[in-house]
Amino acid sequence: MRDARSVSGLRRVFGDLLLAGVVVAVMAVAPSVYSNQLLLFNFVMFLTLSQGLNVIYGFTGYLPFGYVGFFGAGAYGFALAVMHLHAPPLAAMAVGAAAALVLAVILTPLFRLSGAYFAIANLAAAQAVYEIVSNPALEDITKGPYGVSLSGVFAPETSYAVSVAILAGTLLLVVWLRNSRFGLSLRAIKEDPISAAMAGVAVVRGRTIAWLCSALIAGLVGGAFAWQISVFYPETAFSAQFSIFAVVFTLFGGAATLTGPLLGVFILYGIYNTIGITVPQYFQLIYGTLIVALVLFLPNGLVSLLTKRGIRVP
Amino acid sequence: MSPDVMPLLKVEQLEKRFGGFRALDGVSFHLAPGEVLGLVGPNGSGKTTCINVISGLYAGDGGQVVFEGQRIDGAKMHKLARRGINRTFQSPKPFLSLTVRENVQIAARYGHAGGAPVDLDALLASLELDRHADRPAEDLNSAQQKTLDLARALATSPRLLLIDELAAGLNPAELHRMADRLRVLADGGMAMLVVEHLMGFIDRVTDRVIVLNAGREIFEGTLAAATRDPDVIRVFLGGAAHA
Amino acid sequence: MLIGAIISGLMFGLYFTLVGLGLNLVFGVMRIVNLAHGDFLMLGSFAAYWLFTLFGLHPLLAAVAVLVVFVAVGLPIYYGVVPRLLVARDSEMLSIILFFGLSQVIEALAAIAFGTSERSIPGRVLGSGPVSFLGQRLPSAWVFGAAVSAVAVACVYLYLYRTRLGTLTRAVMVSREEALATGIDVHRVSAIAFGIGIALAGIAGVFAPFMLGSVTPAMGADINVAAFAVIVVGTLGNPLGTVIGGIVYGIGLMLMQTYLSSWANLLPNLLLIAVLLFRPEGLFGRAVRRA
Repeated sequence: MRDARSVSGLRRVFGDLLLAGVVVAVMAVAPSVYSNQLLLFNFVMFLTLSQGLNVIYGFTGYLPFGYVGFFGAGAYGFALAVMHLHAPPLAAMAVGAAAALVLAVILTPLFRLSGAYFAIANLAAAQAVYEIVSNPALEDITKGPYGVSLSGVFAPETSYAVSVAILAGTLLLVVWLRNSRFGLSLRAIKEDPISAAMAGVAVVRGRTIAWLCSALIAGLVGGAFAWQISVFYPETAFSAQFSIFAVVFTLFGGAATLTGPLLGVFILYGIYNTIGITVPQYFQLIYGTLIVALVLFLPNGLVSLLTKRGIRVP
Repeated sequence: MSPDVMPLLKVEQLEKRFGGFRALDGVSFHLAPGEVLGLVGPNGSGKTTCINVISGLYAGDGGQVVFEGQRIDGAKMHKLARRGINRTFQSPKPFLSLTVRENVQIAARYGHAGGAPVDLDALLASLELDRHADRPAEDLNSAQQKTLDLARALATSPRLLLIDELAAGLNPAELHRMADRLRVLADGGMAMLVVEHLMGFIDRVTDRVIVLNAGREIFEGTLAAATRDPDVIRVFLGGAAHA
Repeated sequence: MLIGAIISGLMFGLYFTLVGLGLNLVFGVMRIVNLAHGDFLMLGSFAAYWLFTLFGLHPLLAAVAVLVVFVAVGLPIYYGVVPRLLVARDSEMLSIILFFGLSQVIEALAAIAFGTSERSIPGRVLGSGPVSFLGQRLPSAWVFGAAVSAVAVACVYLYLYRTRLGTLTRAVMVSREEALATGIDVHRVSAIAFGIGIALAGIAGVFAPFMLGSVTPAMGADINVAAFAVIVVGTLGNPLGTVIGGIVYGIGLMLMQTYLSSWANLLPNLLLIAVLLFRPEGLFGRAVRRA
């Protein structure tokens, strides 16, 4: 009995790893067969951001509507390190990641709020960070609303490779959360924090770890974004679009799974790139309608069509 | 309680206020290993609040709780679980999307209070949950969810178990089996504090009872003696008149 | 300058009360978070703009038209989505996601229909020249907007406390279960409250071109944060507490714009976070913290 369980457990881990490996391999070789590298970067970016959001929303139930705050903190941390410290890009990415982590630590008191208020307060926090970074009074430090130019470190191939590595690390983290005891304890916290505490789970600690991991991922992606495009404005790096897309892709595919957010990105971001760029309103209309329909008819996303029938999806 | 046994739990002058309302107004009692103490009293007399404070769900406003010689009031719930105190909930909230086995695995992994590891298969079998072990907890009916809540608590091998209204919703046969199970656990050395409305259940399970009224203890002794106590009779008839 | 900031802050406070009032009414009655509130406000703005541009209709008449149409639109929206939401395990969280979707739909449709350019209505429509008030000269459009807001708030008060339906509405706000048990048609009461809630947003929208400047289909997101700040500072679920929140917000905004103008945009965000964290029950009322 016990052996059968661990064999099926191993099979599950293997299935998850296989899916993660295929996605990483495809994105890694894609630039050699498809020339629009910026578009590929955007795919990698949203694949990673959606999984990063999945870490906190899927496994703890807290929806960070202001997820872009960490992304922007990462992008500006990178930019400030390059501009003021003349840091090499990888060191600058570490600074960006640290900035996102600091912001996450500052925001941990938000977990005292229940879900809906957490979401709104997090949105307000991301906007507050944007208002600070873009403020003309801080032009000497952040260049205020006028944006930053980092052309000295522009290296699209390298930054693309780094972003694929971040994606790989993020997918591994999600695989681990799905198959480890720690991930199980997070799901217990999500279901009921009081019962979880009485089962001996350190609720605050578990949530905080998931939160910091999620913020770290967004910060790293933000740094890679800054490195990849090298010229940007605060309203680019803090665009609500990043949060919205990450939320929509994750919800559409199905949170707390590995497949769900991946599916969401490949399908919806694929549609966006087909029809959305010239007339973004039509894409907005589509995903807005999808969200309403999902909440009403399929609250656990596309993958729940299979999981409801007892089929395990990676 | 025989004087030569060191008490497992000492509750001294415990107080808890909600705004101006004194839910617990200086409650004190001792509990020895293997002893089962019933907490009875009308609605709002402080029974559940007492369990909530001891288990760390609420912070008390005064008094102290001493467990195995150390003060534990103010400690976090998960730390108390690991020290050997666990509880069931009046309205249990199992981890609905996780399987029954995963529900108890989490508790055994994170909350185990030391001693021999728990055989989870045997635990589930003893509570008649083994047939459902691989089904998500949301498939269970409410009586089974209550039993799973107890299994979650037992998976941590507690030395003190706080039980809040476990019997409500069980049918008479289930009630009997539950009472027998708790007696077996007590005979194995587990101390229990049992809040329950069903006096038949209290009678079968407990060694003695404390009667609470308006956050104060008005009687301590056997249930049989309590039913003859004039103060207790007055409180319960008064409570019945309100209900 | 201080007196001026406080008086104009009071004017704006009344207006921001109106901005938040409908959101709070919906939350109070249904315990759901209408994240499309700001988008209904935007629709009110565009209604006023087009009614004025095409027919020269005075904003006051536009407000009456918006009231009627929005209540009528609110009822089917309520029956279409809210009863399903309320039976879910975490209806507050699901409501925020669903109404976020609805807000995206409204914003997209408005952008497709009206384009994304900024629209405005000349301030002189609401009276020419500044008005003197306690020695301060204020644009007459502000005074007009504040007065309409005050009237709207008073009407909501009269509805809740002086009508039978309002009494039932308050009963549902106290306890939905008890109201159901006593035989109140909870869905009818809630549907009307929902209609009134978005109509209040629409009326606030009619005056937005005068109080907030030009309007665009994308304005809803910022309005939402402001409206949340107002009702959280007041008290969640207590519509009349919104007055306090609105006035604190209005005066705070005017003081920031007077003395720290470059940081004024931070106000709604920081106010919202600070109150949620340090005084989650608002200045008086219900806690939203988790145990």
